[in-house]
Amino acid sequence: MAAVQGDATDEMLMVRYQRGERKAFVELVRRHNRSIYNFVLRQLRVPSVAEDVTQDVFMRLVQNAAEFKHEARFLTWLYTIARNLCIDQLRKLSHRRHASLDQPQRDGRDQTDAQLGETIADPNPLASAERSALSSEVRSSIVKAVDSLPDDQREVFLLREVANLPFREIAEITGVGENTVKSRMRYALDRLKDALCDFEEYARALR
Amino acid sequence: MDCEKFDRIVLDLLYDELDELTSAATRRHMEHCARCRAIGSGLRATREVGALPMVEPPEGLSLRILHAEEQATQLLPIGKRLGRGLSLLAGYAMRPQVSMAALLMLMIGSSLFFLRAQPGDREHVLVTERGVPESDNESVTIVPKKADAPEPARMATRPAPSPRSEDGAPRRERAVEPKPEAAPLSVPFAAAPGGQAAAHGSAALGSSADDKDLDGNSEASSDSDASYDAAMAAYRDGRYSEAQRRFDEISALGGPHAANAALYGVQALRRVSGCPTAAPRFEAVHSRYPGSVGSDAAWQAADCYRSLGELARARQNYEQLSADPSYKTRAKEAIAELDQRVADQELAARRATTATAAAAKGKAPADSAPAKPADGGK
Repeated sequence: MAAVQGDATDEMLMVRYQRGERKAFVELVRRHNRSIYNFVLRQLRVPSVAEDVTQDVFMRLVQNAAEFKHEARFLTWLYTIARNLCIDQLRKLSHRRHASLDQPQRDGRDQTDAQLGETIADPNPLASAERSALSSEVRSSIVKAVDSLPDDQREVFLLREVANLPFREIAEITGVGENTVKSRMRYALDRLKDALCDFEEYARALR
Repeated sequence: MDCEKFDRIVLDLLYDELDELTSAATRRHMEHCARCRAIGSGLRATREVGALPMVEPPEGLSLRILHAEEQATQLLPIGKRLGRGLSLLAGYAMRPQVSMAALLMLMIGSSLFFLRAQPGDREHVLVTERGVPESDNESVTIVPKKADAPEPARMATRPAPSPRSEDGAPRRERAVEPKPEAAPLSVPFAAAPGGQAAAHGSAALGSSADDKDLDGNSEASSDSDASYDAAMAAYRDGRYSEAQRRFDEISALGGPHAANAALYGVQALRRVSGCPTAAPRFEAVHSRYPGSVGSDAAWQAADCYRSLGELARARQNYEQLSADPSYKTRAKEAIAELDQRVADQELAARRATTATAAAAKGKAPADSAPAKPADGGK
């Protein structure tokens, strides 16, 4: 059964889950738990919040399972839920930031950025010890470059790079035209390129 | 391909979303255009180096999700639960195996329904089969030709299909036996083409059953059969007086063999006493038993008249028989033969008259034979 579910598409699993097969849901969580978490984490930048939002994404899937049409693409549906939850959460965080402007220098944004930088640049301290300092610096620059992107560009960049969705589906999720999506992606890549152009790895890749 | 178009599709090229032809055209353009080549290389290097490092989700996140899902499923409102159950049932119902099984059951059910249904009102359908099967009574009997007996009609031995009487019971047929008849009688039977004689003979012999239906009394029937068989045996053995007596008794008693017995009785009388006595009896049988037996009697009466020289009466009978389909051909042939015979007799009479006149004058001898006497018939 596990082999059969491993071969099944996401849409087939979702239909099975609609019929009450809980194993199908387990398989869906196993497949997309990591990418959803990373997408949410890059958007919200707070790991604990990202964890809760990731759980909420799958709970929304459970609650709205009956509304899923088997003609629809599962990933488009799932990332639409994730995106909407992220937007809601960003609004809440933004409201909280404005409310704490009178607090000392270490506000939530700076703190979360520092935490996220540590998490992403050094997710595994034991393994990273063997890596070069330059690689760590490159990854940190990448993260900073992505974080510094405007929301709309970062959203498109993450849907393309993390979720690996085609531009057509990203346009569907974000509700803008495909050319707009490509334009935002192009800007995001240009910014990333600017952040990386001083590193030797980038120079080697250019050759 | 130009640089403007390249700018539009360079991201599709980077993420392999171009078809093969466009991709090849774009790569050819990059080979000749330094600007586009630099753009493409820069984007590719950015993507290779700047791939976002993926963060592993915290341990236990999956378990938390599954636990939350379990709780959420239990807390689902009853409407959604019913919908999910219905969806589950519908999913099973839509499987091809279930559809095929349902179709098969429908076919079997409809077949049983139509097999059970019988058109019409069964209370009014009553079929009663009486008598004995034909195969028990029908037999093939070939009687060898007797030296002293007249040539039996070449009727064959296969009876005609037994028709049914009006009440639906099968007509009972006796074994077909060839009639030992006088030669003149046998000729028309033998001349009948293609087994018509057989059919006719069978019909003649079985006509008694046409006239009177069997009542199913097996004892009386067996007694009658035995008497008839004894009479026929006497007839075939040449004991015509005894045969005539037995046939007359059977005919007087009536029954299924009365008609045939009457006919055979007169035939036996003809053997004993000759045509002068038998001819009126044949006429009586003809009058009493209309049908095939009566026609047989009329034919034999005509035969007697012809042998007695009463050609006018014989012709009269033949003309009557020409209305009977089974005798039509033979009757016409017999009439033609009679006409020829009358013409011959007239010619002979004229010649005799001429010869007599010549003899009276004593000049010319009689040069023609006297007319043949009429057939001395029995």
